[in-house]
Amino acid sequence: MRTQGTVDRRSLLKVAGSSLAALGLTAAGCGTGSGSGDGTVTIRYTWWGSDDRAKRINQSIALFEKKFPKIKVKTDFQPYADFWKKFNTQASGGNAPDVFQNAIGFLRKYDAKNVLLDLREQAEAGNLRLDGFRAGLEKFGEVDGKLLGIPVGSNSMALVVDQAVFTEAGVTPKPGWTWDEYHAALARIQQSQGRAGDAGPYGIMYLYDLYLRQQGKAFFTTSGLGFTEADLTDWWTKAYERVRSGVYADPKKTIQAKPKSAVTAGLAGSEFTWDNFAVRYTAEGKSTYGLAPIPTTDGRKTGQYLGSLMLSASKRTKHPKEVAQFIDFMVHDPEVGRIMGYDRGVPATDAQFQAYVPTDEVGKQIAAYEKQLVESRVLEPITPHPAGADVCEAAFLRLAEEMSLGKRPVADAVKQYFTEAKTALSS
Amino acid sequence: MDTAVTPAPTPAPVTRPAGEAAPAGSPPGGGHPRGRTPTGRARRENLAGYLFMSPWIAGFLLLTAGPMVASLYFAFTDYNLFDAPRWIGLDNFTEMFGDPRWRTSVEVTGWYVVIGTPLKLAAALGVALLLNQSRRGQGFYRAAFYAPSLIGASVSIAIVWRAIFSDGAAVDRGQQLLGMDAGGWIGDPDRIIYALVALTVWQFGAPMVIFLAGLKQVPRELYEAAQVDGASPWRRFWHITLPMISPVLFFNVLLETIHSFQIFGSAYIIGSQGNACGPADGTLVYTCYLYIQGFENSRMGLASAMAWMLLLAVGLVTAVLFWSQRRWVHYEEGAR
Repeated sequence: MRTQGTVDRRSLLKVAGSSLAALGLTAAGCGTGSGSGDGTVTIRYTWWGSDDRAKRINQSIALFEKKFPKIKVKTDFQPYADFWKKFNTQASGGNAPDVFQNAIGFLRKYDAKNVLLDLREQAEAGNLRLDGFRAGLEKFGEVDGKLLGIPVGSNSMALVVDQAVFTEAGVTPKPGWTWDEYHAALARIQQSQGRAGDAGPYGIMYLYDLYLRQQGKAFFTTSGLGFTEADLTDWWTKAYERVRSGVYADPKKTIQAKPKSAVTAGLAGSEFTWDNFAVRYTAEGKSTYGLAPIPTTDGRKTGQYLGSLMLSASKRTKHPKEVAQFIDFMVHDPEVGRIMGYDRGVPATDAQFQAYVPTDEVGKQIAAYEKQLVESRVLEPITPHPAGADVCEAAFLRLAEEMSLGKRPVADAVKQYFTEAKTALSS
Repeated sequence: MDTAVTPAPTPAPVTRPAGEAAPAGSPPGGGHPRGRTPTGRARRENLAGYLFMSPWIAGFLLLTAGPMVASLYFAFTDYNLFDAPRWIGLDNFTEMFGDPRWRTSVEVTGWYVVIGTPLKLAAALGVALLLNQSRRGQGFYRAAFYAPSLIGASVSIAIVWRAIFSDGAAVDRGQQLLGMDAGGWIGDPDRIIYALVALTVWQFGAPMVIFLAGLKQVPRELYEAAQVDGASPWRRFWHITLPMISPVLFFNVLLETIHSFQIFGSAYIIGSQGNACGPADGTLVYTCYLYIQGFENSRMGLASAMAWMLLLAVGLVTAVLFWSQRRWVHYEEGAR
């Protein structure tokens, strides 16, 4: 009996020991991917976007791994909002992915938190080429002299229109059209087509930014909001009237149509969004969709700038060289350009821009739209996006929705917005 | 009819003190073993016992107790996950109470608990009463009614729910048949909460099973005596069934109330399209706002303070329920 007991205890200890070891292994497995014996290096790359984007990226990565057999790329992707929640949690634990998709609104935020790698050093070492970018895009990821992101494509706000609806209503948007003309067009669509002219622009921070820029202001200054409560009260008061009169779509309906857009769900004739999203509308809806210019205040100035998705690297990556080589490949390789198309905007480098000639209607429209932006010289320098810009964007969208649903009087929504923005920008 | 057929005074199946049905008042089971000092062998057995438990003890300490203590500390700090927490005393709590959105979340949750829990329990008790009669295929019905509470918390059900209550879907069409042109509930900040309530009521199976167990314990002769005296079914329910199952009822009220306070998944999935827990904060339940503050706004200190406030509130409600039971919960002699 006694010996029996000892044996039991021993095996018991073994079990306990091995389970502890297993725990330890799992914990180790959570760490950043790193090198193995044969010199193979694994880097992690994450992004936000649709399944379609993931398919294209995975094809590109297969090419990369063929050319750089010693580098393996592990991937992960989520929709936009979920991506940033996950990223934030990983980064705070010192476990940010080695390379990830980034955008202007997050550069200062994560620079302040010491998350982003200054890629300048790698560029100087020759692992990352900064020449061959279009329209000065290589400067887009610079913050305070640091190179925090490398653009993969350029995009700009546009008005996506349901062409059948616009044609039947006899409306043709022209470059330089004014907000009055735009709203007259929406009213005409509403009367002749029995659907709202627009999905409602009042909650889109990046569009309101353009509207403000047309008047010499901007959504953000370096440290706060660049507009007054009176400005926003005016913008939302008029918007609320238009929701009530049906010129803008009923928010109750558009919310329920999601994840479909109001335009493809047949609830509105148009809506403002980034031009590269136009690809999505054709896949989603039955009509034909096109891009129309941003309305202006003075008949000329649209307030637009080229925006861009970028690739950034983690400051804590153990493989800065491999990460730089990967970014270089992803932005310069012509074959990658052909695979990615206009999914993340018009390719940032000449090599990729020339490699992909769109053959589909939407692609041609996007190319034409951005060409027209460059040629008509409406583009202006981008204004700052301080840390906290992302929280401000979410609050803007939410309070605009509450206002449009009539849950909050405009004055109340404006006041609440300024309170929340102040908290977000000060922390 | 059906009850009358049973041969008269067969004693009720098992008459042990309300078993699993009365966890609240039952005495601590077992009692201590003999009061002698443990021998070497007993000590070894103890050690083995603790070793077997060690994964769970470690799990509890590392994954539950540790984080709880940490969050208690964070509740008094400004903590954004990246920088070291900075002690700010009660600032998180003053900010919380002054925040209109926090008050909205309290209202939404309160409303959900107050409407959802009684409706769910009423449904559970009603169906349990129906299923308490011996009928053919009873097992099937029991399983069928129980099934939703197994799958109801899943993401896919929440997505289906969203679809059912949207424009032009089943609920909207039903409304139109009744001549109401109100549209889907999902886009309406005032009505979307009832979609959540409907989802929790639909999961009445779990409390129903507990009620059924309680109903089986009610001695049949009580009903027979009442019937002889000419008591109506309603009076029999009110004066026999309800008092006899009151410990079970108490257990269910307690469990479901606490459960309701913790609603998160369904609210987040059904309400979030563009804005988390919308539209217009219509599904902004407490845990949802906690999540937004913590993970969207990176305010872990504030989120921790909110979590402790929720714990306090649930604790308070539980205490009130326990205090109230002496007025309406009847334990059989010997069971207390």
